[in-house]
Amino acid sequence: MKHSVNRPPTPDGAEDQGNEPILQEIIKIKLIESGEKERLMEMLRERLIECGWKDEMKALCRAYVKKKGRNNVTVDDLVHLITPKGRASVRDSVKAELLQRIRSFLTSAAL
Amino acid sequence: MSSKINGHVSPQPCPHLLVFRSRNGPKPFRALQDCIRVKPPGGRAAIRREPTEVPRCGTCEESSRSRLYACVACAAVFCHAPLLHSHASDHSLSIPGHEIAVDVDRAELFCCACGDQVYDRDFDAAVVLAQTVNATATTSTSGSTAMQCSVAGSQPENLRKRRRVDYRPWEPDSGEHISRGNQSIPLLDAANASLVSSTQQPWGLRGLNNLGNTCFMNSILQALLHTPPLRNYFLGDRHNRYYCQQKNGAINGTKNSRLCLACDMDALFSAVFSGDRTPYSPAKFLYSWWQHAANLASYEQQDAHEFFISMLEGIHEKVEKDKRKFQSPAGSGDCCIAHRVFSGILRSDVMCMVCGFTSTTYDPCVDISLDLEPNQGGSGKSSSAKSLNSFNVEADCMRPNQNCGISTLKGCLERFTRAEKLGSDQKLFCQKCQVRQESLKQMSIRKLPLVSCFHVKRFEHSSIRKMSRKVDRYLQFPFSLDMAPYLSSSILRSRFGNRIFPFDGDEQDASNDLSTEFELFAVVTHSGRLDAGHYVTYLRLSNQWYKCDDAWITQVNESIVRAAQGYMMFYVQKVLYYKESENQGTS
Repeated sequence: MKHSVNRPPTPDGAEDQGNEPILQEIIKIKLIESGEKERLMEMLRERLIECGWKDEMKALCRAYVKKKGRNNVTVDDLVHLITPKGRASVRDSVKAELLQRIRSFLTSAAL
Repeated sequence: MSSKINGHVSPQPCPHLLVFRSRNGPKPFRALQDCIRVKPPGGRAAIRREPTEVPRCGTCEESSRSRLYACVACAAVFCHAPLLHSHASDHSLSIPGHEIAVDVDRAELFCCACGDQVYDRDFDAAVVLAQTVNATATTSTSGSTAMQCSVAGSQPENLRKRRRVDYRPWEPDSGEHISRGNQSIPLLDAANASLVSSTQQPWGLRGLNNLGNTCFMNSILQALLHTPPLRNYFLGDRHNRYYCQQKNGAINGTKNSRLCLACDMDALFSAVFSGDRTPYSPAKFLYSWWQHAANLASYEQQDAHEFFISMLEGIHEKVEKDKRKFQSPAGSGDCCIAHRVFSGILRSDVMCMVCGFTSTTYDPCVDISLDLEPNQGGSGKSSSAKSLNSFNVEADCMRPNQNCGISTLKGCLERFTRAEKLGSDQKLFCQKCQVRQESLKQMSIRKLPLVSCFHVKRFEHSSIRKMSRKVDRYLQFPFSLDMAPYLSSSILRSRFGNRIFPFDGDEQDASNDLSTEFELFAVVTHSGRLDAGHYVTYLRLSNQWYKCDDAWITQVNESIVRAAQGYMMFYVQKVLYYKESENQGTS
């Protein structure tokens, strides 16, 4: 696996190139480069559909749009509406599984 | 400029999008098209300048924001989190003409000035094309040939557009004059009118005697006798048994009337709709059916659904023999009245989980057999009760088919059309990978029949354990049913996300606008055990429900029907269903 911990951030003319990447950044980069993040995202999507979370969010949005009228709702409104509820209603089992997967990835990546 | 695709109104572009399009030539999203990356399986479309690019906000360098947008004009990427900060909005404000952006993870257009999603036909077509080209084995460079796949709405061979025929008032021809004179009785003469009004029952309600465990046949016959298109066909003398037998006698040269289940049906219709209320014994019909289905000829109890299928086959066979020259494509329903009424087309998509290649097949069907839920509440949802309480504090939304554990017909249909992962022991051959791979299968309805028959699989036969059992669980079924969510166009649309794009089945003409709504008119119920049970049919006539229990016909309350254990449910297209409010036969 290619280790690219010391790679500088994407150059865009910004002034803050001197920052050292902190641990979180390192983990993020490793997750992305190994393709694990992609797999985790897919798994997460599956779980959220399976347990009905996606349907719940959809129903929430529909109810809101019905109340406000189809032409008076923007995507930002909907995101604003369901983000707190969505975060709160993720099943514990899903969170646990995700954490477990990340943990095992970290141990196998042998930081 | 709003147009309709199968009832969906395409959203109007916002002024910024219009300006953008007018300023950037005929192909404003050309550059974006090359950046569309599709990841199998599932074919999610994303926007990446390089295949391995990790998008970061140009201002704050965050890559883990949930919404990152790439400006369509200058390809710069920015984050958009309206509550915290929106660098995408900042960008659009700073440079005029840079309002339109695209969500890098979802390939959806966004107008930063309006703060809302916008839709563009060309862009959506490009995305769907990219997702579809990925899925077909032949990679072609020209856009039009790549659209040959069934996503883009090219019709399967077995689907033909219905021809519209102008209305002409009916006048009997010479043949019809003769048969009218000889074999028909007037419907509404003085004698009959008094018969009907005295019993207060609608036309066509007549008990059928049980000839020895024949309730399976009686129940189906009652349903068929009141299937609107079938009833109209036979009562409209479209299959005249005298003429048919004459013809057969001429062909065969024998005196014996040849086996023709349609003739027997015609006789049955004549008997049941004659106005005579005494129970009728369909002995001739039973005998004919025994000849057709010799393996089932006995006085043992039979399965009503099996009888239904074999009956339709019987009607079809007879007609096929006559019209040997005319081979109509399967599923078009042109072959015989049975298929004209009941035949629909199912679409089956099998997607390889490794490369994303999807193979599609179309199969005609005369009914849909549905599985009941494996166990109440479903697996993997053990914590749903807890979250239901915490979640439902103020939400007034309906939890879909999970809360009380009541099985519904809609739930069964949803499961029927859900994408299902086939197990690793059921690997299917993928044409692109040239090897067996794990697959995802999804069913949908390509063409709806005039009458939808739903068969609930209540009888389980396990060849492994050499036993059969009956599933008694109650299934809730609606009196009105909209089949739109189960159509191929809807299923495909949800697979590709929200795109302005005509999907398979969307190009039907305007006259089909209402043809996804169905009304229940007959329910065949089963009570008792697998080996010792009884079939009863409930019929809906003039918005009243009648219980047909062999020879006994009684009017019942609709609550009785709702509570019954449905085995087969018959729905007819709403436009063919007459909800009469007055009693027939009275002046």
